[in-house]
Amino acid sequence: MNRPTALATTSRMAVGCLLALSMAACNSFNTRPGDSGANCPLPEHQNLEVALEAAQESLQAGCAGEFDAYLDSLLTIAQGDPGPENRERFSEFLVWSTEQGLLSRLQAKALYNRYFSVKFVSMAGEYNNCALSCPRKHRLLSELETELADKEIGLMKVSGDQQGYYRADRLYQELELVLEATCTACSAAR
Amino acid sequence: MNTDILPVSIHAKRPRIPRARAGLVLAYALLAVMHVPQDVLAATGPSIRLFPTTVLEDIRQTSQVAAAMESGLQDIIARLDQQLQLYRESRCEGNEEDSGCARLARQLGATYLEMLNAMGEQLPDMEQAVNSTQVSLEKRLRKELGQKMTPWGLQELLLGNGNGKSTATPRPSLRGRSGMRLSDRFRQYYQLVAQSGGNNGHSLAVIASDIYLDMQETAELIARTREEISRAALLEQLNQSFGVITPEMQQVVAGVKSILFGDPEAAAPVAGPPPGSEEQAYRSPLAM
Repeated sequence: MNRPTALATTSRMAVGCLLALSMAACNSFNTRPGDSGANCPLPEHQNLEVALEAAQESLQAGCAGEFDAYLDSLLTIAQGDPGPENRERFSEFLVWSTEQGLLSRLQAKALYNRYFSVKFVSMAGEYNNCALSCPRKHRLLSELETELADKEIGLMKVSGDQQGYYRADRLYQELELVLEATCTACSAAR
Repeated sequence: MNTDILPVSIHAKRPRIPRARAGLVLAYALLAVMHVPQDVLAATGPSIRLFPTTVLEDIRQTSQVAAAMESGLQDIIARLDQQLQLYRESRCEGNEEDSGCARLARQLGATYLEMLNAMGEQLPDMEQAVNSTQVSLEKRLRKELGQKMTPWGLQELLLGNGNGKSTATPRPSLRGRSGMRLSDRFRQYYQLVAQSGGNNGHSLAVIASDIYLDMQETAELIARTREEISRAALLEQLNQSFGVITPEMQQVVAGVKSILFGDPEAAAPVAGPPPGSEEQAYRSPLAM
């Protein structure tokens, strides 16, 4: 009884080692396994235009499942050469992604505004604040804080728009204050 | 008057609450808001009315009560100062058994009791005025921002327009963040409201929130202060028999002075970035 079990354990360890080795090899080339086993190298060229083209090629070649990793990678590359034109490049990239069916229009809008707009997409919602924002105020504030960090990347580090980021930061602070007062007032009625 | 410092001062051993400016200073600041022309306050958009006449009347009432409290205490504080100075100059500290020093200490204690009594008489009125303002603002905030607005609408209101572009007017410093004295903050509020005329619902929402939270805090502190005054007055009546100048007494006097005349050690506000410039010319078709 022990022998087959030990064998099986040894076999699993061997497979595990092989997998680990192959993953390490993949990582060393900065690639990811894509859909149907496609090889998905993340863009490495430090020129954003070139990196965008490379990313688009890969995304069309079965790597759509790795969209988030590609976007992160492109944002990192863009930080090496910040400027207002980067905002337009990312907008075009996201519009292209909707045309290719990689993202829905709403997803593209949410991503663009999350990084490049002063407004917070976390504040979306069709119901009133007493009903929608207040019951989840702490979670909402946490989401706003996370989104503010993304805006720091998109507005400040990628687009070089410091004023835009300061406005977002200010808006975050005002939202925090007004939500606190409004939600206190809402709860006082109960 | 600044009520939130009082219980702290009476206990003397507790750390002082840093945002201790809510009373008399607040009242003058509220007065500034009250003096904003009605048409300016009404022009906050068709659906946002955070400062109707009833709220302004409550604020005015709070301001008057606080001003009365200040004038009632000012003379007593001045007398206390003089007596304390005389006590120190006479080298009475550590020499309490001297008959002259004991007499000075009893005079000082009597004036201190007078101050506590004056505060005790005025605080119920102050409490009522603050509570009334708090309740009326609470209703407006709940209705205008809580029930009539979506989260997205609230955000757009705070931004001041629909496209995220900044307004040229400076924004008021926010509650508890800048270390700025309340009076200065409210002066900024007034300037913002008075100068921007028209599209200023975004600032009024911040101001209303700020006042409401301050009032709430103040109401709690007034209630605590009234309890503490009763206790401190009793203790001081006992001390009168022995003519002792306690550290608690000195600290209460210092606290009340800072309420009336300001706290020179208050932290200076950290400079913020300049008002934002226009957004970049490019506008994405994805922009919301």
